This record gives sequence, structure tokens and C-alpha cells, in this order.
Amino acid sequence: MINKDLVIIGGGPAGLCAAKMAAEAGQSCLLIDRNRTLGGQLIKQTHMFFGSEKQFAKTRGIDIANKLVEDVRKHPDLIEIWDDATVVGLYQDKVITVLKNELYIKVQSKAVIISTGASEKVLAFENNDLPGIYGAGAVQTLMNVYGVKPGSRIVMVGSGNIGLIVSYQLMQAGVRVLSIIEASPKIGGYKVHASKIRRLGIDIVTSCTIKKAIGTEAVEKIVTVKLDEKWNEVPGSEKEYEVDAVCIAVGLTPLTNLQSMIGSEMKYISELGGLVPVIYPNHETSIENIFSCGDASGIEEASSAIVEGYITGLLASKKLGNVHPRYDELMDEYNTQLNNLRNGPFGDKILNGLKKQGA
Amino acid sequence: MKANYVIIGAGISGCSIAYNLAIKGVKDIVVLEKAYLTSGSTGRCGAGIRQQWGTKMNCLLAKGSIEFFEKAKETLKYDGDIEFKQEGYLLVSTDEEEDHQFKKNVKLQNSLGIPARKINKKEAKQIVPHLNTDVITGAAFCPTDGHLNPFRMTDAYFKAAKRLGVKFYFNEEVTDIIIVNNKIEKVITANMEINSNNVVNAAGGYAKEIGDMAGVNIPVYAENHEILVTEPIEEVQRPMVMSFTKNIYCQQVPHGSFIMGRSNPEVEHNHSNESTWKFLDEMAKTVCEILPLVGNLRVIRQWGGSYTMSPDRQPIISDTNELEGFYLACGFSGHGFMFAPMTGLLLSEIILKEKSTIDISDLHLSRFKNKKDFIYEKSVV
Repeated sequence: MINKDLVIIGGGPAGLCAAKMAAEAGQSCLLIDRNRTLGGQLIKQTHMFFGSEKQFAKTRGIDIANKLVEDVRKHPDLIEIWDDATVVGLYQDKVITVLKNELYIKVQSKAVIISTGASEKVLAFENNDLPGIYGAGAVQTLMNVYGVKPGSRIVMVGSGNIGLIVSYQLMQAGVRVLSIIEASPKIGGYKVHASKIRRLGIDIVTSCTIKKAIGTEAVEKIVTVKLDEKWNEVPGSEKEYEVDAVCIAVGLTPLTNLQSMIGSEMKYISELGGLVPVIYPNHETSIENIFSCGDASGIEEASSAIVEGYITGLLASKKLGNVHPRYDELMDEYNTQLNNLRNGPFGDKILNGLKKQGA
Repeated sequence: MKANYVIIGAGISGCSIAYNLAIKGVKDIVVLEKAYLTSGSTGRCGAGIRQQWGTKMNCLLAKGSIEFFEKAKETLKYDGDIEFKQEGYLLVSTDEEEDHQFKKNVKLQNSLGIPARKINKKEAKQIVPHLNTDVITGAAFCPTDGHLNPFRMTDAYFKAAKRLGVKFYFNEEVTDIIIVNNKIEKVITANMEINSNNVVNAAGGYAKEIGDMAGVNIPVYAENHEILVTEPIEEVQRPMVMSFTKNIYCQQVPHGSFIMGRSNPEVEHNHSNESTWKFLDEMAKTVCEILPLVGNLRVIRQWGGSYTMSPDRQPIISDTNELEGFYLACGFSGHGFMFAPMTGLLLSEIILKEKSTIDISDLHLSRFKNKKDFIYEKSVV
């Protein structure tokens, strides 16, 4: 059994920022990430960010990741990093079990920050497990991290920002995007992205969903169908596309297995992407010293995850007796930033969700 | 609302009691469940069914229940598959004393018509080829023991009872039982008041608390027993393998996963159903020693469930001398699932004042009065 005062699970934007603040407060911590590269989803985001200068607007996600990782690596004495290590259990006595290099390791912690991010939502349709049917995150990983094209003819399902941006990136990579289909009557993402896509000649079909995939070894065709105002299929509106890949971009849901496992109070809040932990004023879950931040507490943008990470790092360190020298000033600053971010175009939905989430 | 009988608990015992009463023509039966069907110990159990017991009473309860399970699908007109797989239980012994105990048990079981047999290491190896026979001295095997899906079996009872008019209410926790002049008058939940003179306590881990509401002391307590399930593989192990001294039971269920559990000698008496890393450590060590092959599999999930322990590790199936109309089906000490058909049958006989199928005077609550030393059922993990 290894003893660690503070363990941060997940080295995406939230976890990296929490670790940075902890170190600045003089609090040692162990940062665990299951991937070989820290940075979470940022490392596959080659597009430039929107939003405020303070959260790296006009900077590419991959560059933000590098910057945040650099910040963390400045504190090798205080931040221990385990990459390629998967947390498999979080028990009530705050013991964390980890698989690292085929070894099963137990870590007794005093406090934990869960910043595990999110997983992609899936759609239920016939043959949705055929090879060639990807989540948008997987497509980004293939193309942007490994330089592998997912196919040559693709249909994108979902017109949120991720669906739109990934469609654009696919076109840039030389993949033909036959169509973007969207089940709701309105395009989900920013207008500026949608317009850019349309200028490239990609059709965005609203009130339309995927009905089934056809293929033997891999996907060969898909059938789409139009939906009426009650989301029922419109008979006779089926359309076939010949494809070798389908990209499903229908949103994210928080990865909350660890919060559930340790028994923290959970709530289903659709505005935040599904099942989330109830969050107490100092970012703790219903279990003392178990903190949760970033997408693992509710789906928002990477920029909010960054700020929430900073805040949670400050709070957790303080709870363990290490107060950041500029604690009050930074808390004010980050809370203001977070409020500003949540006043953006999707802010109402998030604020509504957060109201339900608070204890 | 009015009811003839209020049954507290929609685990398999409560559902079986409801069915047995309803099939005999009893009307106005209400089942109250604080969460959902099988949410308590039933849905958390190891899904094993066995007749190899050390006491006559447990043997008879198990045997009668297996006979019901064999025809349950037809009897209950269930359209699903209850996944009853009679591939046996292989109990392994690890020393001479246990060997001797098994011999005695098999003799008792055979005298009651249970087809168990004492076998040697070589025969055990033939039945379970990956068994590490270096750590055992012998074994007992009963081919008609086996596996049964707790969710499906309870669902079968639930649906049959519902067809017979039993009303089920879920997310209805009983908060009080109102007694007037030593007679049950009402059962209270958060949303309902049910006028009834008869209450059946099938509340599993919470049987003691329900007893307290009725002013009847039931000397049982809940303790957490942990369990885990692995990834599924093709069938390699047909029977359940069990060792009392090594503290393990382990079976491969029909869809290919291995389910295994062991008890924690230091467990506290409470309603915790927590999972611990210590269990995972100990379970892994134990199973790797007895069934090394299973050590190659990945663990998918672990969980806990309550055993409701009685002082002699045998159930309480009885009425109560203290309170008219108050009936008990509790204290199964980890084996309520496999005894459920007999529990329902026998308790319905008590309630309807019919002749008992088997003599169960030994299962009456009054056996604990002024008594401290009991003959334990030893064949328990």
C-alpha cells in the first residue's frame, strides 16, 4: 500500500489545472492518467478555441494541452505523474486501486479529485456495432493523433459543435462527408461553424436520424429517415447512403463510475449530460474529501474544465492544510471567469443544470 | 386502503409467499417493497441452489425447493428462461475432520432422498478438470444441485402472483405498524396507510427493524457478504465449487461469467453493502489456489449483499406468540433464495392453518427464547 495525501484521477484540462494549483499551494499530489499522453481530449483538438483570451481563445487544443502539461512538469518535486495507469477502483476507505504496467497497485489517499472527463454517447440502431461506425472522439483520435483516415465516404450523425468541427477536419483530410444529419429541427452548434461547412458544399439535414447500418464485414451502407415534430419516423422518407464510415457525434456523458463506486450521492441531470454527483459548495461530493470537477461533474467546455480544475485544486489543498499564498485573489478571479464562461451561448442550460446539482 | 394480508419485502421470499397465498384463493394481498423487485439480498446473491446441508431441516427445505424449481417454468406459466442448470455442487474438503463431516452429511442427505455422494480427489478432478486437487483431501458431489437466475425466478413468482390479483407497490418503505389492543390495525408507508390485521415480515436484512415496529423481538442481524463477477468465457466449469474451510464458493453461470464469494470473519453487524479492496485481494488469492485457471480472468464488477443471520443459522418460518396476525419468513442466514419455494408453501400453510407439508416446529421464533447454545449449521460460506 502506497500512501498519498492528494490523488488526482484524470490528467485532462481539469486534472492538470487542479495539480498545478495544488503544487503552487505547496500540496503534493499524485496525478494518474490512463493514457500515455497527458492532456485528455485536448490533444486531439487541432482547431482553435473560441471564448475568452483567459482560457486560450484562438489557441489550438493540442497547444493548450502542451501548455498545461508544461505547467505541471514545473513541479516535479510536488507532482508525481503516473501515465498509462488506469484507476480500477475507489473504495470507501479512500483506497484507490490502479493497474500500471500490468501491476495492481493500492494507494491510500486522504483526498481525491475525480477529473475523469466524459465518454461519448451512443445511438441505438440496427447494426450499430459494425466496424466503421465511430464516435466523433475516436475519429479525432485516429486523424489528429495518429494520422489515420477513418474512411473515404462518411456520414456525420449530429450537428453540435463537435459534429461540425470534425466534419470540417474530415474534409481537410480528404474524406468525403456526404451529409450531416441532425435529429432535432435545429442545428446544434455555432452558426459560424455551420456556415463554413455549408460553404464547402456539405448538406446539413435536420429532423433526420440514422435508422440502420448495412454491411457484412464492415459498414457498407446506411439508411436514414426523417422525423416529424413528435420525433416519430416519417414513413417513406428513408434514404440510403453508400459509406465506409459513420461518425456519431451526439454528445457526451460524464464518466462517473468512481463517484458511484465510492457511494457519493448521484443525480440524473439531462442538462449536464446524465448521471452526475451532487456537488457541495467547496466542490466536494457528498463524501468528505472526495472532490469532482470538469466534465466528470457535468458536461461543459474545456475552458470551464480548466477553471473548475484551478478552483478545485485550490479548495482541496486548503482542506488538506495548504493554502495557496494568493488563495482569495485567485478564487475571486476564477469564479468570475467561470461565471463569464457560463454567460455564453450555452450558459442558460448549464446554469439550470448546476442549480439542480447543488446540494 | 384495505388488505387481507400485507407482505413486507419483494425479494424472492415475499413474492413466493404472495404467490402461494394467492394460488390458494386468498384475496386482497398487498406486497410493499422499499425499493424495487429483487433490490435486496435476492438480486445480490450467488445464484446457487444446493441440497447438501448438515441439518435435516435445511436438507428438506432445499430438496422441496429444488423439486419446485424443476417444474417452476410450467407451474408459474413463465414465458422467460429461469436459467435453471442442474450441473451439481462440488464441495471440497481440506482435512480429515471435514472429510468425516461430509461423510456424515452425505449419509443424512441420502436418507432424505438427496442423491449426494462422497467422492475422492480423482473423481473430483474428473468433474472439474481445473480443480487444484493438491489442496484438497476429498469431496462431496450432488448432481441435482446447481444454478438459478435470481432475477428471472423472482420475476416468475412476481408475474404469477400479479396474475392472481396480488398488488405490488414499489418504492414504498414501511415506516410503522400500528397495533391496537395487541392486534395489528394498520401498516404505514410514506404515501399510504393500509388497514390490515395480518402482516408477513419478509424484509430480509431489515426483518429485525420490521419486528421492532410490531413490538416483536426477532434475534437476527444483517451482515455484508461480498461477491464478484468475471468476464465471460466458454463453458469450462459445470458445477459450483465450494469449500467451507477455504471460505469460497465459485460457479460459472450460463452466460459464461464466474461468480464467486467468500465471507469476512471480521464483518460488522449492519446494513452496509459496501465493496472492499480487501475482499478482492482475499477472493483472488483463494480462487487462484483452488481453481488456478480462473485467475486468468478479468474481474468485471464486485458488490455486496446482506445475509440475515439467525442464532442457529437456520430460517425462521413461523407465526408469533407475541402478536396475532404477525408472520415471519426471515433469518435465512444467506440461503433465502434457494429455499423460497418451501418458504412460500410452508408459511401459507401456517397462515391458512393447514397441515404442514413437513414438520417445521423447529423453525418457530420461540426456539430462541431463553436459549443461548444452538446446534449450528456448519455448511455455510
